[in-house]
Amino acid sequence: MQFEPSAEGRVSAHFELVEVGLLRLATSQLVELLEAADAHAPGTAADPALKRLLPDAYLDDPEAAAEFRRFTAGDLLDRKVLNAKVVLATLGEEPLDPISDEPDEALLHDLPDDAPLTIVLDPPDVQSWLRTLTDLRLTLAERLDIGPDGRPQREDEDAPFLRDVYEWFGMVQESLVYAIDV
Amino acid sequence: MPKTVERPDLQETVSLDRPWITIVWDDPVNLMSYVAYVFRSYFGVTAEEAERLMLQVHNTGRAVVATGNREAMERHVEAMHGYGLWATLARADS
Repeated sequence: MQFEPSAEGRVSAHFELVEVGLLRLATSQLVELLEAADAHAPGTAADPALKRLLPDAYLDDPEAAAEFRRFTAGDLLDRKVLNAKVVLATLGEEPLDPISDEPDEALLHDLPDDAPLTIVLDPPDVQSWLRTLTDLRLTLAERLDIGPDGRPQREDEDAPFLRDVYEWFGMVQESLVYAIDV
Repeated sequence: MPKTVERPDLQETVSLDRPWITIVWDDPVNLMSYVAYVFRSYFGVTAEEAERLMLQVHNTGRAVVATGNREAMERHVEAMHGYGLWATLARADS
């Protein structure tokens, strides 16, 4: 996986199927998290990751922070969901559709197991990817209990896998930033 | 800050108000390359200025990335939250 600039402002990269599956799974879970969020009180919601995705805009003024949230949180959540669905669409999956269970089943069956997929992103897609990768990393950082020094405090059996995913999303994002910064 | 002295009365009162600032805070998650990219693409600053601001966030824990009226700063903070950066606004002298 390495994004390279291609024609007309696009970027492209080869992804292994397992990488695409991982991105799909994590991004679908992000959509669920965002869609379940209460736009007016994400800070008090069951999931602390939402607090970081929608931080207080005023540090020392809870009233102003609440009012800012009232006017912006709904739109911000909607845009984050939209970005995540763009990522899912560019991965070869239709935006989450409750009617179809496995929309990508047929596509996957036509490919040899080890064939990498070429993902091509136009400039608006890139913006959605950059933001969604950030939201994914912020959420994973919360799950890993990453401290101010950047080190995960979590040490159970799931931690190494989550940490690998977190690091890999960072690599994908950095590769994207470099590919559009030429 | 306004560059002209002649302004309608209403705006005069507003501009006499202390200006507000947008602050971006350091966080252990966002990549330095991404933060610099956001400053460059959203605020339209040069690569050098974006790098300087990013390093200021990284090394000192925060940087003032914009100054102006409250509404404008709220727009910037909302945009930063859209990018996933940790941003707040405050009065300039706070």
